[in-house]
Amino acid sequence: MPTRRLLFAFLIAFSTFAVAADAPPASDFAWPNLTDFLKQLIAKVGTPVKVYKLEIDGDGKVDLWIQDQRKPDLVDSYEYEHGTMSEPIPVKFDHYPSVAAVDHHVIELTTIDFQRLPSMLAAAKAKLGLPDARVSTIGLERGDSSGFLTFSDIPIWTFSLSTPRHDGRVEFSLDGKVLDADKD
Amino acid sequence: MPTRTELALVLALVTCAPALAADVIAPAHPLDDPAAVKAAYAARIGHPVHVLTFSFGEHYATATVQNDAAPDEFDRFEMTPGQPMKEGQPQKSGSIDCRKKIAFADVDLAVAARVLGEARAIAAANGYSKPENVELGADVFCNDFGWRARLTSEASSDAFLEIVWTPNGASPKARQMKNDDWAKVDMKTLAAGGAKAPAAPPKNEPAPTPADGRTRDFTRGIEADLARVEAKIGAPLAFKHISVGKDQLSVDVFPPASKKRVASWIVGSDGEIKLWREDDTIPFDCNKPFAAADVPIAQLPAMIAGAPALIPPMAQGWVKSVHIYRSGLCGSPHVFIEVEDDRGYGNVEYDGRGRLVSAAVQ
Repeated sequence: MPTRRLLFAFLIAFSTFAVAADAPPASDFAWPNLTDFLKQLIAKVGTPVKVYKLEIDGDGKVDLWIQDQRKPDLVDSYEYEHGTMSEPIPVKFDHYPSVAAVDHHVIELTTIDFQRLPSMLAAAKAKLGLPDARVSTIGLERGDSSGFLTFSDIPIWTFSLSTPRHDGRVEFSLDGKVLDADKD
Repeated sequence: MPTRTELALVLALVTCAPALAADVIAPAHPLDDPAAVKAAYAARIGHPVHVLTFSFGEHYATATVQNDAAPDEFDRFEMTPGQPMKEGQPQKSGSIDCRKKIAFADVDLAVAARVLGEARAIAAANGYSKPENVELGADVFCNDFGWRARLTSEASSDAFLEIVWTPNGASPKARQMKNDDWAKVDMKTLAAGGAKAPAAPPKNEPAPTPADGRTRDFTRGIEADLARVEAKIGAPLAFKHISVGKDQLSVDVFPPASKKRVASWIVGSDGEIKLWREDDTIPFDCNKPFAAADVPIAQLPAMIAGAPALIPPMAQGWVKSVHIYRSGLCGSPHVFIEVEDDRGYGNVEYDGRGRLVSAAVQ
């Protein structure tokens, strides 16, 4: 049963992040239990999972857009909140993307290291000089970085943080390297 | 200029601010006692600041200040007469567009009370509404830092008069909105009531045609209602644009009397016909009218009903909007049908003879 083996592999891969989510280091952000979310997701849609976009809001609600592997020109949104995953929600684009465009845009789930997130959040706060900042959103999507050295069309983690006096944003590459930081 | 007594009071209040800050009560009559207002602000703020904006009136005051010790910290302090003053609300540094400022010690609220009185006298003499407050700060271009009164008129939304004094209340200058542009106004003219607020243009709107008790779905046909609009106007319809929705039919037409105006008429699902607006035409826009006979009005219901099926991935979709106007650079009138489904949008286009031009996802 290849699907069962893949599911097992995913669970092994993300199990360490479940621990991190239970006891987030150096952060007061209520990390969502991504291990549980992805377990539910893979059980529903199977593998591979190809991520169009991921967004975690300040309350820990997750919105994950993935390519429908049966109809690859379609993208569905799955929301995860308080341990419950939504049914697929059709994603509506202003302009229908072509299959090739979606294929190019998506990021293989297996290439995303979710265990880095807590340390990236700590790094983002340090980079902005905002140790008490709260998470506005954490997002992952392919795009162009906006730093001094720019990179085109790469997966970018964007941490948007805020304090009562400042808003800040730090972009990371998939391997956790800071690409850009910007503070109002 | 503040008196020595006022300065001493402010200094004393700043010194013992931490003890008093919790129960600073705003004066009950701010315009009668501006020094007390300033003292209350000093006590509430509790540390040296510069002022970026200070809005002052008898019902409300608010100030945005910058911490002298931490120039990246901005706070907003509000005051309601007779009420305890709340702590300052931190402001996002990025939301401060203009950083022109004045030392708090140099803010003279007696000046503010005086210029507010002058602004109100000018408003009364020239037919403007009584201003609620004056505001210390810069203009939208971050220039002209001073006390500013903005006068408007209930009679006309186009009327606008602005008077600006320097922070110490000197050198007032005024400008008035005229024909969509600013014109300087002499202060003596204002004082004499010689710069009256422009009157609102007389409304010359025809009375709406009342509903007729029948409920319409315009996607099933518009011919009868176009005929009703034509009867209302009293001349053949010279269209610029026809917009068809399930519950509303909207037509932009060139009025019979002028081809340089466009009138927008709306027919509701209950049959009411009303003039929504009338404007000048836009130069270089396509202002060449078309007639009902130039477009396949009778075929419209079938075109609308069949549009989703013409875009294979959207066969389960629905029609979002229907527009008829001249295509391209003032070409012949075409029918544009926008289709929508759960995933996106599509467009179907017919020419004036009812021939399909294109049908595709957007």
